[in-house]
Amino acid sequence: MTERTDNRPGGRRKRAFTAAENPLDDRILEELQDPPARAGRERTEEEAARMEAAELKRLEEIARHERGLLDQAHSWSHTHGERIARTVYAALAAVICLAVIAVLLTTVSNLPPFGHGENPIHNEVSARYIEEGPAETGALNFVAGMILDYRAFDTLGESHVLFIACCAVLILLRLPETGDLRERMMAEANDRVWEPKHDIILQRGAGFLVPVILLFGVYVLLNGHLGPGGGFSGGAAIGAGLILYLNAYGFAAAERFLTIRSFRIATACALGFYALSKAWSFFCGANGLESGIGPGTAGALFSAGLIPFLNVAVGLVVAFVLYAFYTLFRKGDL
Amino acid sequence: MGEWIRFGLSALLMTGGLFFVISSVVGVWRFRYVMNRMHAAALGDTMGLGLILLGLMLRAGLDPLALKLALIGLLWWISGPIASHLTARLEIATNPEREKEMRVALDEETRREVDL
Repeated sequence: MTERTDNRPGGRRKRAFTAAENPLDDRILEELQDPPARAGRERTEEEAARMEAAELKRLEEIARHERGLLDQAHSWSHTHGERIARTVYAALAAVICLAVIAVLLTTVSNLPPFGHGENPIHNEVSARYIEEGPAETGALNFVAGMILDYRAFDTLGESHVLFIACCAVLILLRLPETGDLRERMMAEANDRVWEPKHDIILQRGAGFLVPVILLFGVYVLLNGHLGPGGGFSGGAAIGAGLILYLNAYGFAAAERFLTIRSFRIATACALGFYALSKAWSFFCGANGLESGIGPGTAGALFSAGLIPFLNVAVGLVVAFVLYAFYTLFRKGDL
Repeated sequence: MGEWIRFGLSALLMTGGLFFVISSVVGVWRFRYVMNRMHAAALGDTMGLGLILLGLMLRAGLDPLALKLALIGLLWWISGPIASHLTARLEIATNPEREKEMRVALDEETRREVDL
């Protein structure tokens, strides 16, 4: 029992003292039981008392020495620099915090009232978006009409930001193609050494979930001009579905339809189509020419001019970039 | 009257769901080992989410919205256990000293299990 107690590193239970562990208790017990035994031990007790006194003296000396060291370390001459710095720091922190709080509070208290009709954001631009948006763009979803028609170049820039970020990761993380074959195979084998491969539960689950996720992503993508959704959210759903497929079935299965080549072609085509078609549309609109792209009947699946196609282009870029991020960070290749 | 009963029922269900979610948050916060934490997290995933969705479905009534909420629950209940399974498998594969984490001892005095 004692052995087990001693082996416990941080045991919370109290240890039961036995006689061998505590000699003082032992002596008291002995005296209580047998008073005459005390006389025979008089001398040894005297010796013990002497030794105890010497030990106490030694300990006191050590304590005094340590106290002296502490006093030295904590004396004003040693620490006043640190103390001043600490005071200045605390004062500065308090002043900065109070200043920021004051600025924020005055800003918030001077904000226009929420939902008021005469707020500065309710200007002619937003009124135009809401009143004329569906007629001019053909999109029932104002947001889609705004970001893919009125401000289409802004969205093109956003897609390019994603694409360029992915290119940077590709440059940094991709393994050299003409490198040592053995090295590449080692990297391939090293991937997910510990991770469960070909997990049957994951595969069954993914077999059910991936089609649903991909279908939902396509629905969000194609429905972007009719309701909530659009390229970014739909593309994110499709990318997540692809990543799940890759996790469940492995790189060999995913590379049957998704390689660096298809990534290149798809993103280049999507971004090029976006830039060219929108440039044509803006050029014609600015010069009063007939672009051949009409808003169509609002509410139909093929309506709103370019918006559904631009949604698909943006969705392709987002989905491929998400997938590429994942594979690049995991094995350094697509 | 019927409307009020429905409101009360759904409020009760959602409060129960919130209780389970909060319990699971506390559990994830307090426990130190991944398996214990998974156990706590699963509580909120199954019972908490289920009760909240049930309450929301009661609020929605006979509506396509209720069907969508049920679909959310179905997808969650498929994906959650799979994720837990993978986490546990990874833990089994990577932690050679997992036996140490699972050991408990019986305190002789209080007859209670204590962690080592």
